[in-house]
This record gives sequence, C-alpha cells and structure tokens, in this order.
Amino acid sequence: MVWIESLPVVPAYMDVANSRWLWLSTVPVVSVVLLQAAIFFRRAWSDGKEIGLSDDQLKSGFKTGVISAIGPAIAVLVGMLALIATVGGPVAWMRLSVIGSVAFELPAAELGVSQFGYSLGDSDITETAYATAVWSMTLGGTGWLLVSAFGTPHMEKARQKLGEGKDALIPIIGAAAMLGAFAYFLTGEVASGTPETGSVATGGLVMLILLQIADNKEIQWLREWALGTAMMVGLLVGVALQVTVGTWW
Amino acid sequence: MSGNTDSVDGQHSGDGVYETEFIPYINKWGRRTNALAVLLSLGPAVALLTVFDILPPTQAITGAFISVAATFGIFWVVEPLSYYPVLGIPGTYMAFLSGNISNLRLPCAAAAQESADVQTGTPKGSIISTIAIAASIGVNTTLLGVGAFALVSTFQALPELWQNALDSYLVPAVFGAIFAQFGRDYPKVAGAGFVLALAMTMLLELGYLGVFPGYPLYMVIIVSVFGTILIARWMWKQGMIEPPEES
Repeated sequence: MVWIESLPVVPAYMDVANSRWLWLSTVPVVSVVLLQAAIFFRRAWSDGKEIGLSDDQLKSGFKTGVISAIGPAIAVLVGMLALIATVGGPVAWMRLSVIGSVAFELPAAELGVSQFGYSLGDSDITETAYATAVWSMTLGGTGWLLVSAFGTPHMEKARQKLGEGKDALIPIIGAAAMLGAFAYFLTGEVASGTPETGSVATGGLVMLILLQIADNKEIQWLREWALGTAMMVGLLVGVALQVTVGTWW
Repeated sequence: MSGNTDSVDGQHSGDGVYETEFIPYINKWGRRTNALAVLLSLGPAVALLTVFDILPPTQAITGAFISVAATFGIFWVVEPLSYYPVLGIPGTYMAFLSGNISNLRLPCAAAAQESADVQTGTPKGSIISTIAIAASIGVNTTLLGVGAFALVSTFQALPELWQNALDSYLVPAVFGAIFAQFGRDYPKVAGAGFVLALAMTMLLELGYLGVFPGYPLYMVIIVSVFGTILIARWMWKQGMIEPPEES
C-alpha cells in the first residue's frame, strides 16, 4: 500500500516527539519567558521616563531590538533544523525559545542518547533513549536558570572578589572548556566515517573564513549567519562525500 | 515619586529611582520567573512520562546529567559572570531565561544602546537593553514557533537521502564550526584539546578504558574538558596565550 511505502525512515520516536501533547507541554514555560519580557518591558519603559530617557530614545531602543533580532532569529531557525531532525519540533522550539542555543542543546541531546550507545542521527534510537535526551537537555539547562535566578543580585560582588589576576582567566577557562568539549564531540564524528569528517572539517573551515571576513570588514550580519552557513555547507560536503567516495573507515 | 531632574546628563540623574525601585522590582520578579521556569521546563519530560509512559532508568538520566554537567557546568557560572557587565541585572535574568545570548541578546542590547545613545553599564543603558532584549524575545519566540511548525512538515516531506543527510552531516558541521569559532582565539588550546580528545576517543574505541566502571564515555569527556582547561591555565601562566581584545 502506498502509505506503507511512503513511510519515512524517520525513527519511530518521532511520532511521540512531534505529538500534540509535546506541543502542549512546551506552552507553559514559553509563556513564562514572554510574561517576564512583558513585566520587565513595562517597568523599564515607565522607570526609563522617570530617570530622564526621552520617548524617542525608548522607541529607538525598542525598534533596534526588533530589527536586530530578525536576522539572528532566522539564523537560529536554520540551526533549529538539526534539532528538529533529532528531537522533534516542540522540544526544538522550546529549547531554543527558553534557555538554550543549538551549541548546547545538540551536545546535551547527544549525551542523552549516548547513554544507550546511540548517536544522534541513528535511525534505531528508542523512545527511552529519546526521553533521556529530553531529560538531559532539561536538567542541563537548569544550571543557568538557577544561577541567574539566585545569583544575579550577587553578581557584582562576586565579580569584584574574583580580582584582577583571575579576571583574565575567566574567558580563557570558558573557552578551554568549550574547546575540550567540542574536541571530544568532533572526534566522535571523525571516528564515524569519511563524510562526517569532511563535514566537521568543512564546518570549521567555513566558520573560520566567514568570521575572518566579518572581522576584517566589520560585517555584523555575517557573524550572525556564520554558523547557519557553515552547517549548510558542511552538510552539502557530507552528502557529496557520501555519494562519491563513501567511507574509508 | 522622585523628580526627573534633567540637569545632570547621564549616570546620576534618577539613580535613586533606578537603584531603589527599578532594581528591587526586577530582582523580585526575575527570581520568581526564572525559578518558575525551572519547574515548567520539565514539561516535555513530564508529558513523556505521564502521557506516553516513557521514563528512562534513573542511571541513564544521572549518567547524562553528569556528562552534561562535566561539559557545560562551568558555563552555568562563567557565562552569567562574563556577560553580566554588558547585560546588567535585568538583562541577565532575561538572557539566561531566553537563551541564544551571544548570537542574539548581546548584539540586540548593544545595538539598541548605540541607537538610543546611552552608555553601557549606566542605569539608562540598562533600561534600554531591557527594552531591546524584551523586543528580541518577542521576535525570536514568534519566528521560531512558526518555523518549528512549518519545518517539521517540510522535513518529513524531504527525500530519504536528504533526511539522512540532515540527520548525519549537519551536526558534525556545527561541532566543527563551534570548535573553529573558539579555536580562532586560542589555536594552541584548540590543538591541545583536539589531540587529547582524539587520544581518549581512540582509547575508548580500542577498549583501553575498561578499567573504569560502566561505559567510560564520561572519562573521555572529563579528561577532554578538564585536561584542556588545565593545559590552557598552564599556557596562560607561561604567557603563551591571552584573551582576545574586545572588539
């Protein structure tokens, strides 16, 4: 029958992942984000006038916020493709509207399914492994929320305590942690085959080139589009390698 | 309440309202909303449990959480601290609730401060960035919501080769790109991290990590992350690396 043949190779858990119930379950938390934005916005607008900001300044700030958000949000949308492909529409939408970014959510999901020996993109991922990915993203994301919820009032003191000497180390430790983690992620991909390796290398190379151009010519939009472009080109190279040379290991 | 003295331009006029009313209000509601979001973010996980009766074994959840904490735990503290000077107190609550900070919230806040002609770090700057970030949250949530609905069906309509391609080759490219983004600033650290991770991955694949309990994936992560941090710290003390200039 036609409908059996047209069944996609999408893993079975995708029915659950794209179900109405999951869409519904994402509504409350996304509402909190919008609610907070509305509360803060109202108060900032009225207190802004109090402290001497003009209507024009407030409007210009608002307008710039809207305009500047459109480009990056579309770029996030392209990045969301990878997340939709692996965890479904609702969870992808929620994770990228609340807390997350593609750079956190993908690895967090990968760490979830890897508990069962799977890797994102495997077609036989079980519903349990998928649920582990959801838990992994959710619990992993709470760290930022808790620190910002209870740490923000103390941030100023903490910053000063860290002192000058260690101030310089903060960005270095952050970048080193990121490099170590992504080195681990990408070596796992390199181990899976030639097309994956080509995709890793291309993604990195395109990113380097685009960021270099953006820096030299001061092109902000290029920075916003760099990751989206790098992943699309990396994808194309991966496919090209798959259909031409296949894999060597 | 207090008068809005137009006299002093910039920081000092209206500091009273900002410090005594705006910030306490923001702290009160910021704490509540972000803490509430912690609970509500469990929505999909709870739906999987209650509606579909899917609950992973505790050890799988724990294992995944430990791996995520080992990889990203440091950012829970490092990122709020690092971005705080630019975002201000309201911006910190909002940005860490809504995510996409470096690629969306920070640029929006900075651009708005520029266009409204206020200084970063001042009360006026903080108010303008609050407004800009709120605006960006509206745009982002709407665009992604429409996109997620539309893209799900688009994805399912794609031919097999491309579905497979999206599944298999988009993620490695993201990993490569992010690695390159940070590697630009710290090529030596990137080199060290890559060699370390490759060595650990090969040890894992060849079964040499069998002395550790369970599936010792976590050893690869811990050694890759903390090994790279220790190497970077050592390099910094040797004067081999330094943070990039703020652009």
